Amino acid sequence: MRGRCWKFGDNIPTDQIVRVDRALQSLEEMAKHVLENLNPSFPREVKKGDILVAGKHFGQSSGRAVAPKAIEATGIAVVVVEYAARLFYRNCFEIGLPLLECPGISAGVSDGDILFVDMTKGYVYNENTDQEFKAAPIDPFLSRMLEVGGLINLPVEMFQE
Amino acid sequence: MNLVEKILARASGREKVAPGEVVVANVDSLILHDLSGYITSRVFEKEVKRKMRYPERVAMVFDHHFSPPNEERARILEENRAFARRHGIHLFDCGSGNIHNVAVRNGFVRPGTIVVGSDSHTPVHGTLGCFAVGLGNNSNAGTVMPFGKAWFKVPETIQVKISGQNKPGVCARDVALWLTGQIGEGGVVYKAMQFTGPYIKELEVWDRWLFPLITIDVGGKCSFIEPDEKTVNFVKGITDEPFEVITSDPDCEFADVWEYDASGLEPQVAASPTLGNVKPVGEFAGAPVQWAELGGHGGGRLEDIRQAAYILRGRKIAPGVKFNLVPSSREVFTEACREGLVQLLHEAGCTWFPPSTGSNQAINMGAMAETEAMVSTHARNFPGRNGSPKAMMYLGSASTVAASAVKGCIADPREFTV
Repeated sequence: MRGRCWKFGDNIPTDQIVRVDRALQSLEEMAKHVLENLNPSFPREVKKGDILVAGKHFGQSSGRAVAPKAIEATGIAVVVVEYAARLFYRNCFEIGLPLLECPGISAGVSDGDILFVDMTKGYVYNENTDQEFKAAPIDPFLSRMLEVGGLINLPVEMFQE
Repeated sequence: MNLVEKILARASGREKVAPGEVVVANVDSLILHDLSGYITSRVFEKEVKRKMRYPERVAMVFDHHFSPPNEERARILEENRAFARRHGIHLFDCGSGNIHNVAVRNGFVRPGTIVVGSDSHTPVHGTLGCFAVGLGNNSNAGTVMPFGKAWFKVPETIQVKISGQNKPGVCARDVALWLTGQIGEGGVVYKAMQFTGPYIKELEVWDRWLFPLITIDVGGKCSFIEPDEKTVNFVKGITDEPFEVITSDPDCEFADVWEYDASGLEPQVAASPTLGNVKPVGEFAGAPVQWAELGGHGGGRLEDIRQAAYILRGRKIAPGVKFNLVPSSREVFTEACREGLVQLLHEAGCTWFPPSTGSNQAINMGAMAETEAMVSTHARNFPGRNGSPKAMMYLGSASTVAASAVKGCIADPREFTV
C-alpha cells in the first residue's frame, strides 16, 4: 500500500475519533467528522488510499467498533501507530481494517509524506526521508481475519462445538 | 498458571495455556448497555443472522438512558426491548442502575467465570476473581451471541502489590487515581494485572472494585484480585448460582512485579485532558466548578454517598453549584433512604437522579458549555465526553467532590474531615 500520510498524536481516545453523539449515525455521516476536533481538514481532504499515522495508545477509551469503521469509511487504507489501545487493535482486525504497530513511526513521518506499507513483510517506508520502520509481527489468527475481511467472515467451524 | 491462565485453559478445554497463545473459549456472561448493546444487536441481526445460543447468559442494562430525552432515543430503547424479547435475553430497563453494578447485583459475575461486555470498563469484574474483558461489537455479535464463545490472546501478567495505610481523608479512590498516573496511560498495554498486597486484602469488595476499574485506562486487558473469604461471602450473599473459585498457583511466575506504598498519599485529582494528568488535590485547589457528581461506572456507590454525607452534614453546597447524586443501583438508593442520607443530601442542596450511569458521555445528563467544569467520581475525563471539548472534568474521591461542592472550587476534603 502506498499513500499520503495524515499524522496524529499520542493517547487519542475513540471519543475524539467519533464523538459519542454521532455513534448511532450512518458511517457516511460519521466519516465526515472523523478526528475533526484534532484536525478539521482531515475529514474534508482525506482521500481513498491515504494512510493514518498516530502515536502511543491510539484509540483508547470506549471500545465501540464504530471508531475504526468510521476511519475505514473515510478511505484510509491502513492505520500505523506506535501502539494501539487493546480494544481498538482488536476491533480493527475484527472489521477488516489493517493496522500496524511501528515503534518510532511518530518521529519519522510528517503530514503529507508518501509512505509505503508492506503488511506481509511488516515495514513502513517513508519515500520523502528514505527511512524504513519495522513493524511488530501480527498473529496469524489476526492476519487470517484481515484476509477474509473480518471476524464475522471466519469459518464457523472455528467457533462451533 | 495464574488465575487468568487457569480460567482460559478450562474454558478452552486445554490442560495448559501460556502468554501469547490465541484460544477460543466458552463465555459465561455477556453484558451490554443500551448504547453499544444497540450497535451490537444491529450487527447480530443484520450481518451475523444466527440464533442466540445461550440467551440466559446475556444481559442488557439501560444505563446511559434513565429516560429517553427525544424520539430517536425512545425508538432505540424500544428496538432494544424488542431485541431482548425476540432473543429471550435478560433486560434491565431504565432506572435499574449502572451496567456493572447491575451485573454484579444480579449474579452475572461469579468467581472463576469468563465475563465479557460491550463496555470498555468490563475488566472491573476481575474484582471477584473472573477473567473479565471488554470486547468489540463484532466479537459480541459474531461469536459470543451465536456460539457462546470468543477468541482471546492469553496475556502476560504483572503483579501489582500495594501496601501501606491511608492518612485520614484519603481513600481507596485516591490510591486508584494515583496508581493510574504511576502506571501511566498505556503503561500495561495488552497485559493482565494481579492487584494484591496488604492494602488490597484489607479493603471491602466495593473498594477493591476501584482497582480493576482502572485497567482499560492504563491500557490493560484485564485485572484480577485473588478471591478470598470476603469475595465468596459477597457473591453468596447475591446469588444461589453455583461457582468454582479458581486461584493462582502459589509458584506462578509474573512478567514483572511492581510495588507501591500508599502511606504518604494526599487526596488525588485527575484533570482533563487525560487520566494521566493526576496530581495531589492542592495542585488544582481553587479551580472553579459549577457541577459536582457522584456517579459513573465506579461512582454512586453507597460508600461514596456516605462520604459525601459526612462532609455535607450541617452544610450547604455553594451558590451556583449543582450537585448530582446518581446511585449505582436501586439497592444503593434503598440503603441510602434507610440511612437517612437521601434527605440529608437533598437538604444540603444536592439533586437525586435515577439509578443509572449518570453523566457518563452526557447521553442523558451532564452536558457542559465550554465555560463549565465538573468534579466527579466518574472514570474518565477526556475532552468532548461531556459536551464542549473545552469543558473541564476533574476526577476525585466522593469526599473531594463533596468538599469542592461546598466551596464552589476544587477543594481538599481534609479541610472538612480532619
